[in-house]
Amino acid sequence: MEKQLEDLKAIREMMEKSSKFLSLSGKSGIGAGTCATIGATVAYFYIFHQPRTVAVQLLILDAVIVLFIAVSLGIYFSYQKSKNRNEKFVSKVLIKILYNLFLPLFAGGLLSIILIHRDQIEIVAGLTLIFYGLALINTSKYTYEEIHFLGITEIILGFFAVIFLNYGIIFWTLGFGICHILYGIVMYFKYDLKNK
Amino acid sequence: MTNIISNLNKAFDSRIRLGIMSVLMVNDAVDFNNLKELLELTDGNLASHIKALESFNYIESKKQFIGKKPNTSYVITELGQQSFKQHLNALEKLIT
Repeated sequence: MEKQLEDLKAIREMMEKSSKFLSLSGKSGIGAGTCATIGATVAYFYIFHQPRTVAVQLLILDAVIVLFIAVSLGIYFSYQKSKNRNEKFVSKVLIKILYNLFLPLFAGGLLSIILIHRDQIEIVAGLTLIFYGLALINTSKYTYEEIHFLGITEIILGFFAVIFLNYGIIFWTLGFGICHILYGIVMYFKYDLKNK
Repeated sequence: MTNIISNLNKAFDSRIRLGIMSVLMVNDAVDFNNLKELLELTDGNLASHIKALESFNYIESKKQFIGKKPNTSYVITELGQQSFKQHLNALEKLIT
Protein backbone atom coordinates (compact mmCIF):
# COMPACT_ATOMS: atom_id res chain seq x y z
CA MET A 1 0.00 0.00 0.00
CA GLU A 2 2.62 2.52 1.11
CA LYS A 3 4.83 1.77 -1.86
CA GLN A 4 1.98 2.09 -4.37
CA LEU A 5 0.99 5.44 -2.92
CA GLU A 6 4.57 6.66 -3.05
CA ASP A 7 4.88 5.40 -6.64
CA LEU A 8 1.79 7.32 -7.74
CA LYS A 9 3.05 10.46 -6.02
CA ALA A 10 6.44 10.14 -7.73
CA ILE A 11 4.77 9.64 -11.12
CA ARG A 12 2.58 12.67 -10.69
CA GLU A 13 5.48 14.84 -9.56
CA MET A 14 7.69 13.77 -12.44
CA MET A 15 4.94 14.39 -15.02
CA GLU A 16 4.40 17.91 -13.68
CA LYS A 17 8.05 18.72 -13.23
CA SER A 18 8.96 17.65 -16.76
CA SER A 19 6.10 19.36 -18.57
CA LYS A 20 5.17 22.40 -16.50
CA PHE A 21 6.84 25.57 -15.36
CA LEU A 22 5.83 25.77 -11.71
CA SER A 23 8.19 28.52 -10.67
CA LEU A 24 5.78 31.19 -11.86
CA SER A 25 5.40 33.27 -8.71
CA GLY A 26 2.25 34.91 -7.42
CA LYS A 27 4.43 37.91 -6.62
CA SER A 28 5.09 38.26 -10.37
CA GLY A 29 1.39 38.87 -10.89
CA ILE A 30 1.11 41.29 -8.00
CA GLY A 31 4.17 43.23 -9.27
CA ALA A 32 2.96 43.39 -12.86
CA GLY A 33 -0.54 44.39 -11.80
CA THR A 34 0.74 47.17 -9.56
CA CYS A 35 2.91 48.53 -12.41
CA ALA A 36 -0.02 48.49 -14.82
CA THR A 37 -2.28 50.26 -12.33
CA ILE A 38 0.28 53.01 -11.73
CA GLY A 39 0.83 53.38 -15.49
CA ALA A 40 -2.91 53.62 -16.14
CA THR A 41 -3.37 56.15 -13.34
CA VAL A 42 -0.67 58.37 -14.86
CA ALA A 43 -2.38 58.05 -18.24
CA TYR A 44 -5.84 58.85 -16.89
CA PHE A 45 -4.97 61.81 -14.69
CA TYR A 46 -2.09 63.34 -16.67
CA ILE A 47 -1.60 62.10 -20.24
CA PHE A 48 -5.29 62.26 -21.23
CA HIS A 49 -5.30 65.99 -20.49
CA GLN A 50 -2.55 66.72 -23.03
CA PRO A 51 -3.15 67.68 -26.67
CA ARG A 52 -3.79 64.57 -28.79
CA THR A 53 -0.46 64.29 -30.64
CA VAL A 54 1.55 64.71 -27.44
CA ALA A 55 -0.80 62.37 -25.57
CA VAL A 56 -0.31 59.57 -28.10
CA GLN A 57 3.47 59.79 -27.79
CA LEU A 58 3.34 59.94 -23.98
CA LEU A 59 0.93 57.00 -23.92
CA ILE A 60 3.33 54.85 -25.95
CA LEU A 61 6.22 55.83 -23.68
CA ASP A 62 4.08 55.07 -20.62
CA ALA A 63 3.14 51.65 -22.04
CA VAL A 64 6.73 50.74 -22.91
CA ILE A 65 7.98 51.66 -19.41
CA VAL A 66 5.15 49.73 -17.74
CA LEU A 67 5.78 46.68 -19.94
CA PHE A 68 9.51 46.75 -19.22
CA ILE A 69 9.15 47.03 -15.43
CA ALA A 70 6.30 44.51 -15.28
CA VAL A 71 8.23 41.89 -17.27
CA SER A 72 11.40 42.52 -15.24
CA LEU A 73 9.52 42.08 -11.95
CA GLY A 74 7.82 38.97 -13.32
CA ILE A 75 11.13 37.40 -14.28
CA TYR A 76 12.81 38.44 -11.01
CA PHE A 77 10.17 36.94 -8.70
CA SER A 78 9.92 33.73 -10.72
CA TYR A 79 13.69 33.40 -10.77
CA GLN A 80 13.68 33.76 -6.99
CA LYS A 81 11.00 31.10 -6.64
CA SER A 82 12.90 28.68 -8.87
CA LYS A 83 15.95 29.18 -6.66
CA ASN A 84 13.90 28.49 -3.55
CA ARG A 85 12.50 25.37 -5.17
CA ASN A 86 16.02 24.32 -6.13
CA GLU A 87 15.08 24.11 -9.77
CA LYS A 88 16.77 25.24 -12.92
CA PHE A 89 15.15 28.46 -14.11
CA VAL A 90 15.89 28.14 -17.80
CA SER A 91 14.51 24.83 -19.00
CA LYS A 92 12.94 23.42 -22.13
CA VAL A 93 9.53 24.13 -20.66
CA LEU A 94 10.35 27.80 -20.04
CA ILE A 95 11.47 28.18 -23.65
CA LYS A 96 8.19 26.63 -24.84
CA ILE A 97 6.29 29.03 -22.60
CA LEU A 98 8.12 32.08 -23.89
CA TYR A 99 7.57 31.01 -27.50
CA ASN A 100 3.86 30.41 -26.99
CA LEU A 101 3.44 33.61 -25.00
CA PHE A 102 5.29 35.98 -27.27
CA LEU A 103 3.96 34.77 -30.61
CA PRO A 104 0.41 36.13 -30.02
CA LEU A 105 1.80 39.11 -28.11
CA PHE A 106 4.03 40.02 -31.01
CA ALA A 107 1.11 39.83 -33.45
CA GLY A 108 -1.02 41.97 -31.13
CA GLY A 109 1.79 44.48 -30.63
CA LEU A 110 2.34 44.84 -34.35
CA LEU A 111 -1.37 45.33 -34.98
CA SER A 112 -1.47 47.96 -32.23
CA ILE A 113 1.40 49.90 -33.78
CA ILE A 114 -0.35 49.88 -37.16
CA LEU A 115 -3.59 51.13 -35.62
CA ILE A 116 -1.83 53.86 -33.69
CA HIS A 117 -0.25 55.01 -36.97
CA ARG A 118 -3.74 55.15 -38.48
CA ASP A 119 -4.84 57.30 -35.57
CA GLN A 120 -7.11 54.68 -34.05
CA ILE A 121 -5.50 54.44 -30.65
CA GLU A 122 -8.87 54.12 -28.86
CA ILE A 123 -9.29 50.54 -29.98
CA VAL A 124 -5.81 49.49 -28.86
CA ALA A 125 -6.66 49.07 -25.16
CA GLY A 126 -9.18 46.34 -25.99
CA LEU A 127 -6.96 44.67 -28.59
CA THR A 128 -4.00 44.40 -26.23
CA LEU A 129 -6.29 42.74 -23.66
CA ILE A 130 -7.63 40.25 -26.21
CA PHE A 131 -4.21 39.31 -27.60
CA TYR A 132 -2.78 39.05 -24.08
CA GLY A 133 -5.66 36.75 -23.12
CA LEU A 134 -5.01 34.55 -26.16
CA ALA A 135 -1.31 34.44 -25.29
CA LEU A 136 -2.12 33.33 -21.73
CA ILE A 137 -4.47 30.58 -22.91
CA ASN A 138 -1.81 29.44 -25.34
CA THR A 139 0.71 29.25 -22.50
CA SER A 140 -1.48 27.82 -19.78
CA LYS A 141 -0.93 24.18 -20.68
CA TYR A 142 2.69 24.55 -19.60
CA THR A 143 2.01 26.08 -16.19
CA TYR A 144 -0.70 26.45 -13.55
CA GLU A 145 -4.23 25.95 -14.91
CA GLU A 146 -5.42 29.23 -13.35
CA ILE A 147 -3.59 31.03 -16.15
CA HIS A 148 -6.16 29.63 -18.57
CA PHE A 149 -9.00 31.36 -16.71
CA LEU A 150 -7.01 34.56 -16.35
CA GLY A 151 -6.70 34.46 -20.16
CA ILE A 152 -10.45 34.10 -20.63
CA THR A 153 -11.07 36.98 -18.21
CA GLU A 154 -8.68 39.21 -20.17
CA ILE A 155 -10.43 38.42 -23.47
CA ILE A 156 -13.87 39.23 -22.04
CA LEU A 157 -12.59 42.53 -20.62
CA GLY A 158 -10.97 43.22 -24.00
CA PHE A 159 -14.31 42.95 -25.75
CA PHE A 160 -15.92 45.25 -23.21
CA ALA A 161 -13.10 47.73 -23.83
CA VAL A 162 -13.77 47.65 -27.58
CA ILE A 163 -17.56 47.92 -27.17
CA PHE A 164 -17.43 50.75 -24.65
CA LEU A 165 -14.58 52.62 -26.33
CA ASN A 166 -14.71 55.63 -24.01
CA TYR A 167 -14.11 53.44 -20.99
CA GLY A 168 -11.21 51.51 -22.60
CA ILE A 169 -8.75 52.65 -19.95
CA ILE A 170 -11.03 51.40 -17.14
CA PHE A 171 -11.24 47.89 -18.61
CA TRP A 172 -7.52 47.98 -19.39
CA THR A 173 -6.78 48.80 -15.74
CA LEU A 174 -9.14 46.05 -14.58
CA GLY A 175 -7.49 43.51 -16.89
CA PHE A 176 -3.81 44.31 -16.60
CA GLY A 177 -3.89 45.82 -13.13
CA ILE A 178 -6.59 44.47 -10.83
CA CYS A 179 -6.86 40.97 -12.37
CA HIS A 180 -3.10 40.45 -12.16
CA ILE A 181 -3.04 41.55 -8.54
CA LEU A 182 -6.02 39.36 -7.59
CA TYR A 183 -4.72 36.29 -9.43
CA GLY A 184 -1.26 36.98 -8.02
CA ILE A 185 -2.55 37.02 -4.44
CA VAL A 186 -4.57 33.83 -4.94
CA MET A 187 -1.63 32.03 -6.57
CA TYR A 188 0.71 33.26 -3.85
CA PHE A 189 -1.39 31.77 -1.10
CA LYS A 190 -2.28 28.64 -3.05
CA TYR A 191 1.17 27.68 -4.35
CA ASP A 192 4.04 29.87 -3.16
CA LEU A 193 3.42 29.67 0.59
CA LYS A 194 2.96 25.92 0.38
CA ASN A 195 6.39 25.50 -1.18
CA LYS A 196 8.23 27.28 1.59
CA MET B 1 -6.81 -9.40 -4.93
CA THR B 2 -4.28 -11.64 -6.67
CA ASN B 3 -5.91 -10.60 -9.89
CA ILE B 4 -5.19 -6.93 -9.28
CA ILE B 5 -1.61 -7.53 -8.25
CA SER B 6 -0.93 -9.48 -11.42
CA ASN B 7 -1.85 -6.34 -13.36
CA LEU B 8 1.14 -4.56 -11.87
CA ASN B 9 3.89 -4.61 -14.42
CA LYS B 10 7.21 -6.01 -13.20
CA ALA B 11 9.03 -3.87 -15.76
CA PHE B 12 7.97 -0.78 -13.83
CA ASP B 13 9.07 -2.08 -10.47
CA SER B 14 11.84 0.50 -10.10
CA ARG B 15 11.24 4.14 -9.25
CA ILE B 16 13.69 5.19 -11.94
CA ARG B 17 11.77 3.38 -14.68
CA LEU B 18 8.55 4.92 -13.43
CA GLY B 19 10.26 8.29 -13.69
CA ILE B 20 11.44 7.72 -17.25
CA MET B 21 7.98 6.54 -18.33
CA SER B 22 6.26 9.48 -16.57
CA VAL B 23 8.45 12.02 -18.33
CA LEU B 24 7.93 10.40 -21.74
CA MET B 25 4.16 10.12 -21.23
CA VAL B 26 3.77 13.90 -21.11
CA ASN B 27 6.57 15.00 -23.46
CA ASP B 28 6.97 14.30 -27.18
CA ALA B 29 10.66 13.49 -27.15
CA VAL B 30 13.24 13.97 -24.42
CA ASP B 31 16.98 13.67 -24.89
CA PHE B 32 19.37 11.77 -22.66
CA ASN B 33 20.84 14.76 -20.84
CA ASN B 34 17.44 16.23 -20.14
CA LEU B 35 16.24 12.95 -18.65
CA LYS B 36 19.39 12.73 -16.60
CA GLU B 37 18.82 16.20 -15.15
CA LEU B 38 15.13 15.68 -14.49
CA LEU B 39 15.62 12.37 -12.71
CA GLU B 40 18.90 13.39 -11.10
CA LEU B 41 20.76 10.27 -12.18
CA THR B 42 24.23 9.29 -13.33
CA ASP B 43 24.91 8.33 -16.96
CA GLY B 44 25.37 4.65 -16.27
CA ASN B 45 22.34 4.31 -14.05
CA LEU B 46 20.03 6.00 -16.54
CA ALA B 47 21.48 4.08 -19.49
CA SER B 48 20.87 0.69 -17.91
CA HIS B 49 17.21 1.45 -17.18
CA ILE B 50 16.69 2.90 -20.64
CA LYS B 51 18.13 -0.26 -22.11
CA ALA B 52 15.73 -2.36 -20.09
CA LEU B 53 12.70 -0.33 -21.17
CA GLU B 54 13.88 -0.47 -24.77
CA SER B 55 14.14 -4.25 -24.58
CA PHE B 56 10.45 -4.38 -23.61
CA ASN B 57 9.72 -2.11 -26.59
CA TYR B 58 8.18 0.44 -24.26
CA ILE B 59 10.41 3.26 -25.44
CA GLU B 60 12.37 3.98 -28.62
CA SER B 61 15.52 5.93 -29.21
CA LYS B 62 15.96 8.41 -32.01
CA LYS B 63 19.48 9.34 -32.97
CA GLN B 64 20.17 12.58 -34.74
CA PHE B 65 22.88 15.16 -35.12
CA ILE B 66 22.64 18.65 -33.69
CA GLY B 67 25.41 20.37 -35.61
CA LYS B 68 28.22 17.86 -35.35
CA LYS B 69 27.20 16.44 -31.99
CA PRO B 70 25.26 13.19 -31.90
CA ASN B 71 22.11 13.47 -29.84
CA THR B 72 19.90 10.65 -28.65
CA SER B 73 16.33 11.34 -27.66
CA TYR B 74 13.66 8.97 -26.49
CA VAL B 75 9.97 8.59 -27.22
CA ILE B 76 7.36 6.33 -25.70
CA THR B 77 5.87 3.62 -27.94
CA GLU B 78 2.19 2.75 -28.35
CA LEU B 79 2.82 -0.42 -26.36
CA GLY B 80 4.65 1.58 -23.70
CA GLN B 81 1.72 3.95 -23.28
CA GLN B 82 -0.78 1.12 -22.95
CA SER B 83 1.36 -0.81 -20.49
CA PHE B 84 2.04 2.25 -18.38
CA LYS B 85 -1.63 3.19 -18.25
CA GLN B 86 -2.48 -0.36 -17.21
CA HIS B 87 0.15 -0.17 -14.50
CA LEU B 88 -1.24 3.17 -13.27
CA ASN B 89 -4.77 1.76 -13.12
CA ALA B 90 -3.55 -1.23 -11.17
CA LEU B 91 -1.72 1.04 -8.72
CA GLU B 92 -4.82 3.16 -8.24
CA LYS B 93 -7.04 0.14 -7.66
CA LEU B 94 -4.64 -1.14 -5.04
CA ILE B 95 -4.80 1.97 -2.92
CA THR B 96 -8.57 2.47 -3.05
